[in-house]
Amino acid sequence: MIPLLILAPLILLAAVGAVWKARPVHAALFLALALSFTAVLYLALGADFIGLVQFMVYVGAVAVLIVFSLLIIHRGDESEEAARRRRALPLGLLCALPVPVVILAAVSRGAPTTVEGAPVLSVRQLGTLLFTTHAPAVIAVVVLLTAVMVGAALLAREPQPDRRP
Amino acid sequence: MTASPAAVDAAGWFAPEQLPMLPQRLVEHLLSLTGAPEVLISIAGIAASAGTVLLVFSSAFALLSLIERKVLARAQNRIGPNRAGWFGLLQPLADGIKMLTKEDVVPDKAEKFLHFLAPVLIVLPAILALGVLPYGRDWTPLPLEAGLLFFFAIGALTELSVFIAGWASGSKFPMLGAMRAISQMVSYELPLILSALGVVMVSGTLSLQEIAAQQSGFHFGFIPAWNLFTPWGLVAGLLFFICSIAEANRSPFDLPEGESEIVAGHMTEYSGFKYALFFMGEYLGLFAIAGLGITLFLGGWQPPVPGLAYVPSWVWFAAKISVVIFLYLWIRASFPRLRIDQLMRFAWLCMIPMALLTLPAAAIWHFTGRGAFSWLVTLPLLLVPWIILGNVFNRRLAPGRRRYRFADG
Repeated sequence: MIPLLILAPLILLAAVGAVWKARPVHAALFLALALSFTAVLYLALGADFIGLVQFMVYVGAVAVLIVFSLLIIHRGDESEEAARRRRALPLGLLCALPVPVVILAAVSRGAPTTVEGAPVLSVRQLGTLLFTTHAPAVIAVVVLLTAVMVGAALLAREPQPDRRP
Repeated sequence: MTASPAAVDAAGWFAPEQLPMLPQRLVEHLLSLTGAPEVLISIAGIAASAGTVLLVFSSAFALLSLIERKVLARAQNRIGPNRAGWFGLLQPLADGIKMLTKEDVVPDKAEKFLHFLAPVLIVLPAILALGVLPYGRDWTPLPLEAGLLFFFAIGALTELSVFIAGWASGSKFPMLGAMRAISQMVSYELPLILSALGVVMVSGTLSLQEIAAQQSGFHFGFIPAWNLFTPWGLVAGLLFFICSIAEANRSPFDLPEGESEIVAGHMTEYSGFKYALFFMGEYLGLFAIAGLGITLFLGGWQPPVPGLAYVPSWVWFAAKISVVIFLYLWIRASFPRLRIDQLMRFAWLCMIPMALLTLPAAAIWHFTGRGAFSWLVTLPLLLVPWIILGNVFNRRLAPGRRRYRFADG
């Protein structure tokens, strides 16, 4: 409980920073911070594997995200950002509102579960589970990520008709 | 981590094999004499252990900065630093004093906080990564169950801090260097991790000390049973070595800091001790990745020749790391820098397919009994694509033969 109490505000603050900052690079760095705090939370809960994977995948991914944000978002966008933000704020709040409602409803509805000690899974067991029981989900995620990557590459590419392949 | 201090007699502490653990044990023993609480003792012990790693590798860093200049000088038919002390041995000290007394310039346009943060962040992962390597039979400063994963997870921070350095400087060359660094490191991290995966598949563990321990013994009495001496291990080891050069931003993959193109890349706007910190991070990272390569493919602390097991295992580790580091220096002295498009093409068209191929090869090797039959199956699986890829690269993608208008007629 104590790690959660310490880390949750930090995660929340970093996440708010990620949404609030106008410059995309700042936002991405805050996102990295939020994700690393989440990794620390996993580590504090004794889930070493997921914590380290969280750190490796997401902090590494943020580096890529920054590259894409710099490639896709062109200069000049930053000055318009503040004005656009003011217009978008009500809509964003409206969209964000259901999230705590749903979470609160889910938490209050479900019976309070008490876990007798955290389940300890070895890396081998995790791998076996992922590639047998949850294989369809893994495959679906792989397809999704490939599609996203191709899309991002298309977006980043500027139209250059006379460019040699 | 280790047996409690009381269990080991003092004579054992000074045995050559146990020497690296001496500081930790001494600190723990002295503290337990004063009757300090258990938590404090264990924390102090860990601190002493970490201090040992830090001390050894920062002095190795100082020494390497001299050795690198000496080796490069010899390769270029020069003498190299020879003014400060005997053989220039005091050169690192002189460099350090120079760096410390230089003015610390921060550009006006820089993001002050991030500009300060980047040099700190770049040293951090390198030091942390050094902590999980098994330096000897009994000595891993931080014996993690998922040590390999920890190493790579921490490595992700390096890319980010290089980028922060380049971006926060608020000037053009650092930004170019940062973009190059990120695209290079992200591209080469893929084959790096993929080539390490084969070892994980065959060893069945992510713990580095376990991986090193499994490579004991000798084939036919003289070939060490290292992962390098298997078909998939040979390919993966080579790929790992190439990727480690790229990850450490060293020549011929030193585009992020190519002096002739973008001054010093992400380090352009840094001066004084912050600049030195970048170098420290780079060299410590080099030690770390070389140590990881040794652990994964070169048997870690295992002796290379039978009958030499009485030499302390950490001496073998040090010897292997010296040889590998010398290879890095040799390569730096020998090869010209790549162009960015050559670099990326090489990563995505050659390294990643080959690294992916080592995975089925490792699996087949594991399930066919790791003997002569496995050699017969896996060798063609790797050799044929290797030859084809090499040919394609040489014929289609390499620059054509240069024609000299006047000389060739």
